[in-house]
Amino acid sequence: MAIDENTEAIRGFAEGIDFPVLMDADHLVTELYAISNVPTVVMIDENDRIVHPNWSAAGTDAYREFTGIDSNRQHDRIRAWVRTGATELSGDDIRAAVGDLSPEEETARLHFRIANELRHRGDEEGAARNYDRAGELAPHDWTIRRAILPLQGKDPFGENFMVLYNEAKAAGLPYHGVRGY
Amino acid sequence: MESDLLLLESSTASADELHELIGWSLKPEGLCRDDVCVPVRERGALGDESALDLVALAGLLDRPAVSDESGLTAIGAPRARRRSAVVDLVAPDFSLPDLNGGVTALCDHRSKKRLLVAFSSW
Repeated sequence: MAIDENTEAIRGFAEGIDFPVLMDADHLVTELYAISNVPTVVMIDENDRIVHPNWSAAGTDAYREFTGIDSNRQHDRIRAWVRTGATELSGDDIRAAVGDLSPEEETARLHFRIANELRHRGDEEGAARNYDRAGELAPHDWTIRRAILPLQGKDPFGENFMVLYNEAKAAGLPYHGVRGY
Repeated sequence: MESDLLLLESSTASADELHELIGWSLKPEGLCRDDVCVPVRERGALGDESALDLVALAGLLDRPAVSDESGLTAIGAPRARRRSAVVDLVAPDFSLPDLNGGVTALCDHRSKKRLLVAFSSW
């Protein structure tokens, strides 16, 4: 599920993958599941129960220097769940880890969608007004702040990434879910 | 199921166009959709029948909403949908376009384990 509107870029990631790859350009799922960064992984069982909350489990070690987590350990947890249904967290753990979106984070998602629409219509000024407002409302939500960068022609990596990372770090790296473990 | 996300051209709507825009109608018994009605305590606060306040109406439906000076008004999903995920731990269903040109819903794979992986190119 790509929190992204860049279908061509996502095709590159999806090569050789034979399960469904969904495009969430409007960030519907980040609102429904209180997702505030990528990667975020959620385990849903056969009865539609969420048995593992939003989890910043990485597919590779590309960001290991920031996360300090060996992705193999995370893959093993997912395999164990697939095979046996076992997870290590209780319902209370899950609820405590994710938490609800704040009203500001909720409203930021609305401004983000208005900005996208105005940008598609060629109203760059109106788009910037709404992207800025979204960023003010949810300063540490990466699905807002970082996702906006390429939509405004800016590089989401390198220096721009470090600026956001340092801001988030100063705020204690807020995240709606459990960090990589 | 009503649409989770709405993007409307104006911050107001007439009573006549309300059903087409948000799927609910203003009736004497309240704001109604099929057999379900939500009480409207202060009808005056919604504005004139020719220009009803969509943000206030969304509030009655427990949906977040905001208007921009361009007129565009975004309405988010009913908050109960996210409460299902974060409080009840029941995965809310959704459907999205997939890379094969189709639409895939979570419930297309019901009775199976599903691993949702949110990722991006950014």
